[in-house]
Parts: sequence; C-alpha cells; structure tokens
Amino acid sequence: MAQSQSIQQLKIFFAKVKKPVDKYFWAYAFIFPSMLIIIAFKLIPLIVGLGISFTDWNLLSSPEFIGLQNYARLFIDPTAPIVFKNTFYYSLLSVPLNLVISLLLAVALNQKIKGLSFFRTAYYIPVVTASVAVSAIWVWLLSDFGMINQFLNAIGLNSVNFLQDTRYALTSITLVDVWKNLGFNVVIFLAALQDVPEDLRDAANVDGANARGVFRHVTLPLISPSIFFTAVMGVIGSLQAFDLVFNMSMKHEGGPARATSTIGFYIWQNAFKYSRMGYAAALSFALMGLLLVLTIIQWRMRRKWVYGEE
Amino acid sequence: MTERTLPNPPASRKKSPLSKVPSYVFLTAGALIMIVPFLWMLSTSLKDQAQLFAWPPNWLPNPIAWGNYSEVFTKINFGLYGFNTLKITAAVTLGRLLFCSMAGYAFARMKFPGKDFLFVLTLATMMISSQITLIPNFIIMRSLGLVNTHLGVILPQLADGFSIFLMRQFFLTFPYELEDAAKLDGCNPFMFFMKILIPNSKPILATLAVMTFQGVWNDFLWPLVMLTSPAKRTLAVALSYLVGQYTTRWEIQMAGSVLTVLPVIILYFLLQKYFVQSIKMTGLKG
Repeated sequence: MAQSQSIQQLKIFFAKVKKPVDKYFWAYAFIFPSMLIIIAFKLIPLIVGLGISFTDWNLLSSPEFIGLQNYARLFIDPTAPIVFKNTFYYSLLSVPLNLVISLLLAVALNQKIKGLSFFRTAYYIPVVTASVAVSAIWVWLLSDFGMINQFLNAIGLNSVNFLQDTRYALTSITLVDVWKNLGFNVVIFLAALQDVPEDLRDAANVDGANARGVFRHVTLPLISPSIFFTAVMGVIGSLQAFDLVFNMSMKHEGGPARATSTIGFYIWQNAFKYSRMGYAAALSFALMGLLLVLTIIQWRMRRKWVYGEE
Repeated sequence: MTERTLPNPPASRKKSPLSKVPSYVFLTAGALIMIVPFLWMLSTSLKDQAQLFAWPPNWLPNPIAWGNYSEVFTKINFGLYGFNTLKITAAVTLGRLLFCSMAGYAFARMKFPGKDFLFVLTLATMMISSQITLIPNFIIMRSLGLVNTHLGVILPQLADGFSIFLMRQFFLTFPYELEDAAKLDGCNPFMFFMKILIPNSKPILATLAVMTFQGVWNDFLWPLVMLTSPAKRTLAVALSYLVGQYTTRWEIQMAGSVLTVLPVIILYFLLQKYFVQSIKMTGLKG
C-alpha cells in the first residue's frame, strides 16, 4: 500500500518535471554541443592547469604534489626575469609602433584615394599569411647573404647579423610582428574613420580649425574606441608571442643566448622540451595573471582615453 | 584651443589636386614593403641554388627551377600535409558554423533557465587564451588517447565564445514575424533553424567561415604539440620542420612557404568582402 503510494508520488513528480524539460528541450539541445566543448576545453583546463601547477611532473612518472614550489621557482629561476623582460620589450615596441603606423596609413587611405582596395589588400595579405611562412620569408631576407644585407653592402655599409646578434635579434623579430599585423589595425581604423560624419569635420573647418586641429579634436575622439580596442588586442596578443620567436630563432632555441625567449616561448620549452609540466603550468598562470591585471588597468584608463566614457 | 585663434583662409579649404601626393607616396611605400617580401618568396622558390645570391637581385628566375616544387611534393610529402590541413580546417570550420550558430540562436531567441549565466560564462571564456589551456588540454587529450590524432586537434576548436557571440548578435536582428509564421505552420525550432534561419544568414556564416578557415589553416602551436608523428603534420608544422632541416636550401623553404600561403591568399582574393567584414566584426568585441 505504502509502495503504490510512493509510486503515485513519483509519477506526479515526473509529470511536473517533464513539462519544463519539454519546454526547454530545444534550447538545451541547441546550446549543448557548444557548452560541452567550452566546458571541456576552456573551463576544465583552468582547473586541471591549476592542479598541474602544484606538481612536479615529467609525464613519464606520476605527478608529485609539491605545493607552491613551482611559483616560488619563478622568483629564483634566473631565466624567468629575462623572458618577462623580453616579453615587455616585445609588447612596448610592437603595440605603439603598430598603432601609429596603421593609424597614419588608415588616415591616408580615408581621403577618396584611388586604388583603395589594392592598398587594403597589400596591407592585409600578411595578416592572413601563416606565421611560419612569414618567419621563413624574413629569415631568408635577414640572413647573412639575404637581400637586406646585400643591399646594405651595396650602399657601402657593413652586414648586420639581424637574428644572431643579441643586440638586434629581438628587435628584428618584433618588427616582423609589426609588419605582419599592421593590416589588421589598418582595416579597423579605416572602418572607424569612414564612420566619422563628414559634416562634423566641415563644421570644425567652418569654425576655423586647421586639418591638424580637426584630426586632434574631432576625428581622434570619435575613433578612440577603435584605438582602445586595437591597443588591448595588441597587448594581449604580444604578451603571448610565440610563433615568430619559435620559428625565427635558430634551432627553435629562443636565442641567441635567450635574447628572443618570450614567456609564451618559455612555457612551450618547459612543457615540451624540458618535460617540466608543473613549472610550465605555473608560468602560464603567471602569464594569465599578468594579462588580467593589464586588461583591468587598460579598462580603468579607458574612461580617461575614450571619448564619451566618463 | 589654440587652433581657433588661427582661422584658415577659406581658399585653403579647397584641396589642390597635388595635396594628396604625399599620401600616395606614403601608401605606395607601405604597400611595397608589404608586397616585396612575397614577390621575393615567389621568385626565390623558382630559382636554382646558383641564382639565389645574385646582386642586383634577379626577380625573374632564368632558368625557372620547377624542380623545387616537385622536390617539396616528392621528398617532403607536402601533398599529404596539404590534405591533413584541409581535413582539419574543413572539420573545424563546418563544426564551428553549426555549433556556434545553434548556440547563438538559443541565446538570441529562446528562454530557458540559466541562460544569462551560461551566456556570461561563454563571453568570459574569450578571456582564456590558448597559452593557458595549452598544457591542460594536452594532458586531457593524452588521457583521452587523442594525442597525435587529427580529432584531438579538431575537438577543442569546434566552439568558441566569440563565434557564439557573433551569431547571437546577428540572430537578434532577425525578424520575429518569420519565426511566428513558421511556428504556425508547425515548424519545430530545429526545422525553423535549418530551413529558414540558416539559408537567410549566408553573409554572416561566410564571414565566420573565412575567419575560422584562415585561423585554423595557419594555426601553429596546438598542432605542433599535438601531432607528434610526421605523417600527421599540418602544412604550418611541416613547413617549420622543413625550414629547420633544409637550412641553406632557401629555394626549397620558399617553395614550401608558397604552397602553405597560397590557398589562403587565393581564398582572400575570391572572398575579399567577407575577410574585410570579419575584421570589422572582430572590432565588435570592443
């Protein structure tokens, strides 16, 4: 008797539950594949990665829990400050340079130029080109007897060992990064400039502003959200620099003498060259912390920089 | 405000035809710096060793060394790498288009418990970079037995926050009348999605497709660590090994580079509109 009563209750319970399930079936079915991928390969890895960062693990033996030692190691590893310094240099050189050049190009393009699509294509082709191929092309151009050194010799200058000299290697790779990614910003800025209303500029002209004044006080504030966006994207991208460093440094060693090793490169090297999974994971969390802090600072500054955000 | 004190004479506002000359010079110089390395790559790939270091540079190879390309195909197996790359790229592109437009549709137009939470979660994952997930995902793939498989390379890329966001923004603008009419005709959400929504979303799908195709085709770090046996490599990974192996054979390196970049460049010329659109869409994030 008691049993059939509880079965009855169960039936009522399921009838209640079933209805919302039917109602929301399609919604959950539609988000299911994406949510599965995102949870399995974006969110769970955060936890797994954090776990690995507390271990000493070379993949061959089983992981050994060592607490915070990998994070402590960041402060005693003599290579760590070098890779952080190289990464900051990469960022501080590539982001502003890219912004200034691409803004100038976009402004020049935004004046009823003939051949607009030719120019845009020329600037954009390196963006869609594989970074490995970009590296190969520039290693060849910058090599001892490559075109650039032959040109320097032809005008009476000495050869420069662009990629093997500790003084020039990182700068050379960073400039190739600017060359590769310039076109992305050009297209973004051009789109923003085309949205600046012509009559606003005309009004400023009538008020007696010269071209520079119009640019400084009308155009620049109106495209400041795009400038902010490209700056944030540039910082995030450059702090993770890997492909060019890996492929342009000799034998993928991040050299000469660590001169071109970035954080991203050092993470790969620790994980897949030295089999130090725990330390590599700790490094990647240090990088994530850095990215978070910088992004928050940038968003704070957004209010000051970007027009209409106060 | 100092500009105000210096009113321009009205005549100067009318630009003379010569005023754009500096712009053209600047733009052309920039374009040359962008294009010349590509022409040099193409030219080098068709030279034999004897022609490589000629000064002044010889842009038109004579004789044309087609053999470089056959060497890349026969000795270095670029045909196989091209096939591998195409397979991975096509799978990720198709999968991402389907999954992300489905999720975008649900987030844009359906009501369900947990929707806001899941959507914010999805957006938040855009902040998690590939450098952070690299090691744990490799470990996850290792425990699933998927290291050195193409499936392992494909799986984590099948959905991403930005694509879902992009599709959601587009579907938000889709007229509700069509959906109501479809419902009256007995369409379930899946039929509406496949028969009406997807066929009417071709431009946004094409934009997402070229964006994904280009990104996956050129992707380097993930396939580099995942694909441990040579036969599984993608073009980008294979090219990196080629460069390391044939250090002084610049003509072979450049032939390999041409083969790696050409498919995407051809695609760019065919679908330029969507490429340009895709960059502007990326700007939506800001």
